[in-house]
Amino acid sequence: MNQMLTIAKRELTSLFYSPIAYVVLGLFSLGTTMIFFIGFGPGQPATLRPTLEGVVWLLIFLVPAISMRLISEEFRSGTVEPLLTAPVTDTQVVVGKWLGAMGFFSVLLVPLLVLVAVLEITASPDFGPIVTGLVGLVLVGGFYLAIGAFASAATQNQIIAFMLTVFIICVFTIAMFFLPQAAFLGPGVREAMFYLNVNMQFADFNKGLIDTSNFVYFATGIALFLFLAVKLLESRRWR
Amino acid sequence: MIDAQNLVKWYGPTLAVDDLSFNIPRGQIVGFLGPNGAGKSTTLRMLTGFLPPTAGRISVDGLDVLADSQAVRAKIGYLPENTPLYPEMRIDEYLHYRGRLYRMDRYARVQRIDEVCDRCGLSVVRRRLIGQLSRGNKQRVGLAGALLHDPPVLILDEPTAGLDPNQITHVRRLIEELRGKHTILLSTHILPEVEKIADKVMIIAGGKIVAQGSPDELRSAVASDARILVEVKADAAKVSQAFGGVDGVKEVETSMRDGWCRAVVTPKDGCDTREALGGAALSSGWLIREMRHESASLEQYFIQITARQSQAGVAEDTL
Repeated sequence: MNQMLTIAKRELTSLFYSPIAYVVLGLFSLGTTMIFFIGFGPGQPATLRPTLEGVVWLLIFLVPAISMRLISEEFRSGTVEPLLTAPVTDTQVVVGKWLGAMGFFSVLLVPLLVLVAVLEITASPDFGPIVTGLVGLVLVGGFYLAIGAFASAATQNQIIAFMLTVFIICVFTIAMFFLPQAAFLGPGVREAMFYLNVNMQFADFNKGLIDTSNFVYFATGIALFLFLAVKLLESRRWR
Repeated sequence: MIDAQNLVKWYGPTLAVDDLSFNIPRGQIVGFLGPNGAGKSTTLRMLTGFLPPTAGRISVDGLDVLADSQAVRAKIGYLPENTPLYPEMRIDEYLHYRGRLYRMDRYARVQRIDEVCDRCGLSVVRRRLIGQLSRGNKQRVGLAGALLHDPPVLILDEPTAGLDPNQITHVRRLIEELRGKHTILLSTHILPEVEKIADKVMIIAGGKIVAQGSPDELRSAVASDARILVEVKADAAKVSQAFGGVDGVKEVETSMRDGWCRAVVTPKDGCDTREALGGAALSSGWLIREMRHESASLEQYFIQITARQSQAGVAEDTL
């Protein structure tokens, strides 16, 4: 556990040393604020719901930028050798790195908290849905970062890791949105696909709902991709 | 301490290590020598557990490298080839990070980091960013990182590659200081480096051990190949005829240089032909400018046997 946190801490600090972190942070703040002010004005509901709906789409491109170097960079620079010959397990490495990236992701919530403060100053928002919405956002982030960790274990090339992550995320968002509309699919398949859609899962949180099934969805997704990342890391030694 | 049996490593269709077996007793310094691509790094990576062997078994201190991987890793200090480090970290930060990975508590870390920095000559640069260090200092950081948890086994992959002669001497002195406390396995393709410090040298080429023994043993193995170099003022043809007739001479090579004939005489095994050669030159009335007993260096031996290996067409390209 300690070693996992050691790895997480190193990952988090090294993220802050890389320019990409600040680009992501900047774009995220800019994007969220812009989306926020579209629906901000007299007579509008004092809520973060439309903002978060948009923010979830932003994450499709911003999260892979955080995760693309997680593991690939270790292989590219060779630091994977001293790391994987230290007494740590592959699982500790992958989960540690994911936790570090989650640490950075949570920093992204700061601009959102500023927007919450703006709402509080100008109106009296209902904090319930805001809190659940942010919880949902963290889960989405965690899921995307797990996908990113997997993609980044698959290649030494950061760009490929980025593209692969975006692609897999799109499968879980855009594809699962349009595919169920295909006429030839049975209703059971459609329902399953809607369930797999990240945005649908997030929508519940954004409404202020806390449902076990949503948690199960994200927990399974994160566990699955982190598990695959560990397997990929292991297999890279055998190849 | 380190026991490897019948190690084999295939990279796809390429055979990198071919049935390698050796045993390194506790406290020895062993030099692993071979041309680039001989399979040195691959072997070391298998010893550290980074790469699993295709076949064969390795045990370190009685523990199997694959089955007791975690326990074995804690016993090994490993400096990989090219010393990969995180450029964005400071030396202090990096060493603390390594220490935490090896489950050292804060007190032990602070103490050991002071020690290894002192030992590796890093004390004055400890707050510097690794990315801004010179090649030599990076190498020292790598060494400090390998020494940090005071492992009984040190595996150093080309610890002196890319260093200037001063730094090489420094690293060599450092390794000599560690003698006795650690079992050290270091690889290099520079022979004089291990000749001076290693208790035992293993020369590998094409994934096989082609020669092993103490530096003295290896040297005596080549001593019989010693040659005698004579420069006389005479015609090349006459010289090779005269010297070729001397008892115990196997072969004479001659070449002319500004009027002097340079003859390289290879004697038969165990024959000392110097006196007879001198006599032959005197009786012909030739002036002698130089006569030298050229004892073959380990270096030549190394070149000879490794060249022989690669001529044999054994797999050349590995990592």
